[in-house]
Amino acid sequence: MVSGLSTPEMPTPVNLQHEAASINALTATKSQHVATAIRIDDVSVTFPIGRKGCRTVLENISLDIEEGEFVVLLGETGCGKSTLLRMLLGQDRPTSGSVSIAGSLVQRVDARSSYVPQKYSLFPDRTVLENLTMGPETSKYHIFGRLRPSFRPFRRQVREEALRQLSHMGLQPSDAAKYPHQLSGGMQQRVAIAQALMMKSRVLLMDEAFSALDPATRANLQRLLRSVWSETRPTVVFVTHNTAEALFLGTRVIVLARQNREDHCGSRVVLDMKLPALGMNLRNNGQQFLDLVEHVERFSRGDHHNPSTGFDDSNDLPETLNAFPLDGETL
Amino acid sequence: MANLSPFDIQARPNKLLTQAFSCLIFLVCIGLYMQTSISRHRENPEDRIVPSGHQLVAGIRSAVLEPAEEDDYIPADNASTWERLHHSMIWKDTVSSGRRFFISLFLLVPAVILALHIGLFPWFGAGFLRFVLFFDKIVALSLLPILFIVFGIDEWSKIALIVIGVAPTMILDVTQMVKAVPQEQIVKAFTLDANNFDVAYRVVFRQIMPQVINSLRLNLKPMMLFLFAGEMIAASDGLAYRIAIMRRHMGMDVILPYVLWVALLLFLIDFSLRVLNRRLHPWFQA
Repeated sequence: MVSGLSTPEMPTPVNLQHEAASINALTATKSQHVATAIRIDDVSVTFPIGRKGCRTVLENISLDIEEGEFVVLLGETGCGKSTLLRMLLGQDRPTSGSVSIAGSLVQRVDARSSYVPQKYSLFPDRTVLENLTMGPETSKYHIFGRLRPSFRPFRRQVREEALRQLSHMGLQPSDAAKYPHQLSGGMQQRVAIAQALMMKSRVLLMDEAFSALDPATRANLQRLLRSVWSETRPTVVFVTHNTAEALFLGTRVIVLARQNREDHCGSRVVLDMKLPALGMNLRNNGQQFLDLVEHVERFSRGDHHNPSTGFDDSNDLPETLNAFPLDGETL
Repeated sequence: MANLSPFDIQARPNKLLTQAFSCLIFLVCIGLYMQTSISRHRENPEDRIVPSGHQLVAGIRSAVLEPAEEDDYIPADNASTWERLHHSMIWKDTVSSGRRFFISLFLLVPAVILALHIGLFPWFGAGFLRFVLFFDKIVALSLLPILFIVFGIDEWSKIALIVIGVAPTMILDVTQMVKAVPQEQIVKAFTLDANNFDVAYRVVFRQIMPQVINSLRLNLKPMMLFLFAGEMIAASDGLAYRIAIMRRHMGMDVILPYVLWVALLLFLIDFSLRVLNRRLHPWFQA
């Protein structure tokens, strides 16, 4: 069903201490020859609340995301990771700072990036096939362009491609005529990914795309996404609050957390970590994976200032496992 | 034995019993009417207030087969039933009321389009929303004298009354529907390289279409209400005009069939819109 991705053994052990030390060095040692796909330059976001109060969500975020990276934005609920993704989309504007994709500023939502949200990712009034063909059709023929005679052969061509994409995503051709409400949640997200891929844009933004799915479906989709990514290597920014998912999917994990609960204090990047390109999971990396989960979660909880308490606390690990149940693919 | 207690929420009456029970009140009403009619006719055989079955049939016959009093048309002796029906009173009234009704229905289309723009385009919202909110609070019937002065007492004042009465509510309703479309859908459409009009008409409008039709179905009754108000006050034909005229000589034998005929028409329009909605939008849930 899924074009399966084998996860070979990762020979090089990840040195946690080294990782933590190299956080700051990462931006500096970034290789110059790889093009920057997304540049987030000193972005701060403040929302007004009430009459005169205001709440800072993000504070001085600066990131360079290279072409072909699989970046996972990780953080606890309300840390602003979805807000940051909306900035990348162009749906919201930063209060200060700027976001640019492929060298030009992001001012409004456009086709530079594809988008897979958690819910409402498909158009309910269109069948699966129409959902898939919608992107290429609208980008070439806008509302009245559809009346032109060249539209019909083009549509036929797009349909064939959509059917190919559909079977690639592990759906049956008979699903093509179904409406989204007739599909399960996992199927819907498969179609949503296919729909995004039809646009062939180099940037794919996903907002908690698998968070509403049950663990088994979620694991399947994670494998699917990994294999899709390793085929064409688009730049992916994937927002999640699940650490195990982040470590499995990403080649780079960015953790956002706020320093304290005050309104004026927004989230900052507290951890920026490269991962082995093949992804990690519990089966292949064992204890090392668990340690890494714990390590990352300490950052997202915001208690990395005093690492001694975190490391020495023997109750910490089981608690972490309860708080972030590991998914099917990790067990 | 099934539980027959009427105050049992968990009762499970069988289908036949349910059907029979739902007819009961209809039968009671018809029975009461007949009882009243018979007793009144016993006292006065010429009673017109509660016409008997014979009188009703005669009334329906004259309404369906004979021209209106004010018409000069005299059917030929050998005229076919269709010919007579075509020139009959009820036909004439239905056509003239129906024309007003459908013209105003057609005029609601721009209102819906405007509502789509108000809900979706910030500049339209800024320009129109507050005015529509204000206009919605004006009682449309209070504008009727003004409309008569402006448009005269012919067709357009009545059509204007219907549109002015129903359009603001419709606009506000549709605006709410547009705003209820998840933001994700609009963002997604833009990432699929849609332009503004693609998003407005091919994403949002398509999605709210079934709800718009449902809203229209709910507004059929207010439309009919405004139509009847206009016709009863100033008209020379139309269903409500006839009902108002018949009141003068207590023509209950015509009024009652007219009332039921209007109800039937309204039901048929509502039903066909419902069927149309289901056919056109198989994806629509609830």
